Amino acid sequence: MKLRSVIRWEFLHAVQSKQFLIMSVLIPAIAGIGILVASSQERSPAVQSLSGPPPAYVVALILAMILFMSAFINGVMALYGVVKEKQSRVVELVLSSISAREMMAGKVIGLGLAGLLQVIVWVTTAYLIGSQFATISLEGLTLVHWITYPIYFVLGYMLIASIYAAVGAVMKDVQSGGAGGLVGMVPYLPVMFVYFIVENPDHILVRIAGFIPPFTPSVMMLRIGAMAVPPWEIALSIVSLALGVLITMAIAARIFEIGLLMYGKAPTARELWKWMWARRAS
Amino acid sequence: MTQPVLDVRSISKQFEAVRAVDDVSFDVARGEILGYLGPNGAGKTTSIRMVLGIFQPDEGEISVHIDGHSGRLLKERTGYLPEERGLYGDVKVLDALMYFAELKGISRAASRSRILEWLARFDLLEWQGRKIEKLSKGMQQKVQFIASVAHKPDLLVLDEPFSGLDPVHQDLFKDVIRELRDAGAAIMLSAHQMNQVEELCDRIFLIHRGRRVLYGKLDDIKAAHGEHVVRLRFDGSVEGLASLPGVTELSIRGDRASLRLERGASPDVFVRSLPVGLTVRELTVTRPPLHDIFVRTIGKENDEAA
Repeated sequence: MKLRSVIRWEFLHAVQSKQFLIMSVLIPAIAGIGILVASSQERSPAVQSLSGPPPAYVVALILAMILFMSAFINGVMALYGVVKEKQSRVVELVLSSISAREMMAGKVIGLGLAGLLQVIVWVTTAYLIGSQFATISLEGLTLVHWITYPIYFVLGYMLIASIYAAVGAVMKDVQSGGAGGLVGMVPYLPVMFVYFIVENPDHILVRIAGFIPPFTPSVMMLRIGAMAVPPWEIALSIVSLALGVLITMAIAARIFEIGLLMYGKAPTARELWKWMWARRAS
Repeated sequence: MTQPVLDVRSISKQFEAVRAVDDVSFDVARGEILGYLGPNGAGKTTSIRMVLGIFQPDEGEISVHIDGHSGRLLKERTGYLPEERGLYGDVKVLDALMYFAELKGISRAASRSRILEWLARFDLLEWQGRKIEKLSKGMQQKVQFIASVAHKPDLLVLDEPFSGLDPVHQDLFKDVIRELRDAGAAIMLSAHQMNQVEELCDRIFLIHRGRRVLYGKLDDIKAAHGEHVVRLRFDGSVEGLASLPGVTELSIRGDRASLRLERGASPDVFVRSLPVGLTVRELTVTRPPLHDIFVRTIGKENDEAA
């Protein structure tokens, strides 16, 4: 009941913000203009080759990019939100009503829903504009893709949002990014190895990376796009990702709980470690 | 005997090398206002945060007894006005208040009318649709006060409710706090304005350097520190005033004199023994204001520590 209230609040708060509106409208607009410009020129062979059904890994790549873009934008919003709440001391009032865990979960899920809405807007617009100029066919996608991609997407989103919220909880103000920003970049690492993953989807390193939560969403989406991944690997990766989300959320809530009330300075890594194991407050 | 709503037993909290709160015990009963006083940095806010479960005490125990429940803090039945005021700036007044009520378990349908009543009482009705950041500091404080009381808490913790308020609103806050007490709330109030505390509180707790210095009924504490204070306006000669029984700390400025009576000295005896040559224009004999007790007690503590 409380959790629902927090989710609802965070969702509405996010959706009504200017940034959200700008990002939801601006990105499709830019994409639309880009397509218009491209289509007004002679069709190059490369563009023509797109008119056939795209291979599933292309869809996977696009989805992974969209996931990261949206998760990044909304993750940063979560981070700013947390820092702002900390600075304005709203958090004291909120924590006198609900637990840090509820606050954290509500924020992550609420922002996740807002992100999902944003992505739906993006994808729909892209599809509508794109289909004016090229035949977009989704024939390359099988049932496996339709089932697994949303799961990876949503869980991946929540993982990234929790990481960002935790980073926000230790930051003193929005100016001081520092090491926290780097932590937030971890899930994006596999994107640098897109070609390697797509060309060697069964490579042992790729398979292992698929089970490591921050890498799971992008790696697994690409693998599933590029080959028929054994069902047990898919199941295991989803379980490990879900566990990763739960653990990150718990850790983030813990940092939240203690870190939010420590005003003045950002803690050192050692202090953070100490907090994590400190006695639980209520 | 009925159990107090809030029962705090021997709590301590250590921050690095500082013992912020050291073996503190107190309770707050239904329909009572406990003044929780102390100089800046004495451990007030740390105590309050422990009471609210934001920090856990290192030692000691805090229990809450409400309607047959005994044990941990019931967040839904607790109201809190933090010292550091903070509200969502970019949110409309009514929306923010309804959200905070929702977090206390009150349905949106039920909270709306209740909050509108509060807004009317605090003269904020026409601001309900405005963003909080557009409000003045004082108005924001009223909004935050509403957030702490709109769910009719059984335990209400007010940290510096009067700071930054004009006299009219100080009175309004006092009226509301009294009403909540009369309705049965247990109120823990921390404030720096001693005159407000004196008017409102039934009992006080004075904390200094994390430790209890004074704790008890306001009347008893005043009686224990009961040197009467006499203020006098006169015509004629004040010769001999200093030699009257029990008079200490006499100071005369123009046609005004103020003095203290020794502990145990009777004001009655003093008044009857005023010199014949003195024409009294005004005369007041009072217990010392809480302000004096506060300043003297803390001063004495500091001297002893030095």
